Amino acid sequence: MTSRQQGRRAVVTGLGVVAPNGVGADAFWKATRQGVSVLDRISREGCGGLPLKVAGEVRDFDPQAVIDSRYLVQTDRFTHYAMAAADLAVADARFTPDPEQPYAVGVVTAAGSGGGEFGQRELQQLWGQGPRFVGPYQSIAWFYAASTGQISIRGGYKGPCAVVASDEAGGLDALAHAARSIGRGTDAVVVGAAEAPLAPYSMVCQLGYPELSLAERPEAAYLPFTAQACGFSPAEGGAMLLLEDEQAARRRGATVRAHLAGHGATFTGASRWEESRDGLAAAVRAALDQARIAPEEIDVVFADALGVPAADRAEALALADALGPAAERVPVTAPKTGTGRAYCGAPMLDVAAAVLAMEDGVLPPTPNVTEVCHDLALVTGRARPAELRTALVLSRGLMGSNSALVLRRGERP
Amino acid sequence: MSNTLSYPELADLIQARAGVSITPADLEQPGAHFDDFGVDSLGLLGVVGELENRHGLKVTTGAESAKTPAEFLQLVNSSLSAKAGA
Repeated sequence: MTSRQQGRRAVVTGLGVVAPNGVGADAFWKATRQGVSVLDRISREGCGGLPLKVAGEVRDFDPQAVIDSRYLVQTDRFTHYAMAAADLAVADARFTPDPEQPYAVGVVTAAGSGGGEFGQRELQQLWGQGPRFVGPYQSIAWFYAASTGQISIRGGYKGPCAVVASDEAGGLDALAHAARSIGRGTDAVVVGAAEAPLAPYSMVCQLGYPELSLAERPEAAYLPFTAQACGFSPAEGGAMLLLEDEQAARRRGATVRAHLAGHGATFTGASRWEESRDGLAAAVRAALDQARIAPEEIDVVFADALGVPAADRAEALALADALGPAAERVPVTAPKTGTGRAYCGAPMLDVAAAVLAMEDGVLPPTPNVTEVCHDLALVTGRARPAELRTALVLSRGLMGSNSALVLRRGERP
Repeated sequence: MSNTLSYPELADLIQARAGVSITPADLEQPGAHFDDFGVDSLGLLGVVGELENRHGLKVTTGAESAKTPAEFLQLVNSSLSAKAGA
């Protein structure tokens, strides 16, 4: 994206994914391309008696196997996912930080709720046994910034670090924030989001969202853009990327997987879905503007796809408003119907899917969705081949954030 | 439970409260330093809290800021023996 220092452009060189449908970019992409749905009844301890029944759990992840024992004790599950995804991204990029240049690498994460499971355990100690029984790591483990801090400390990444708390769309905003850091002179940023909202206290908090799907059957719980739309199913997990300055990446011989070409963000208020039409359209226009591309150049849209009729309608209209006639033919997909929405992790998984889709030349489908009741060319059923050079990723948050991100294809690996 | 904290007991407490595995022998090495093991002051604070809950006493303020296992044991054991002698 545009930068203050001439010629500095942010590119994606590594993907790290911890998702309900796969851990690692390869497993994630295989399941996404196949349109596998892994939405299922929630199986976590203590969650059985709650009205929220269906979600996307990360089940192929053994924290004991990949997370050092000190972080198992000191951090929440959302940080375990973020740390594991960060390791995967750095390894995927074949990136070895230069110990002489610790300030060349930064960390940015987005977070929607912090460490609810850890916090619940310690608060139970508080009221069950008293304040002397609350562990000191509670002071940092629940916190929104915990994942950024732990990734930074463990990796020795002393460059600009931040956490973006701007709702679900914060996943995309974190990428924009990281791209600005690169524009200002940071060579690499480990950036993304992972969430862990499937624990009793966290689930009870979500019950206040009117958009939450309380459906009992996994295949019918999250059906955006259909007449059966009844809200969204939550998910855990997310993705981290290695974002680098293009020249720095080329100097070390890294493969440029995708360019972060443009980003736009607006705010239209909590649950005001009709108004999100204008907000989302404005975000798309800003992103296209920054990317200096025309609507016809968008080859695929990864939709927000909330699954609430008013929100789905607003999104379809926003695309028509922002893309004009191009909206009628551009393929739209929402792979997250197979995994659920991992809050800030959701748009990050879409960004990972967009990079992989462009590399593979394949449009992934929208699992479980068949009959679309909006004016959208939604990819349903099976994946299909397509020449994809430019992708648009959309995200909205329940509190009113709307963001759009334009990605352009890099080199095929 | 004995009224003094030993290196093996300290190693167990650090494992439980800070998640860091250290052998008692390594803890006992002359010049051993908590920083070198990656045990931070929050971890030591958790160990102090556990000892206070077990023994029902206040451990000398500042034990959680001890830099070395030897210093930590000395601060904790002086609190324990003060209680025993009281």
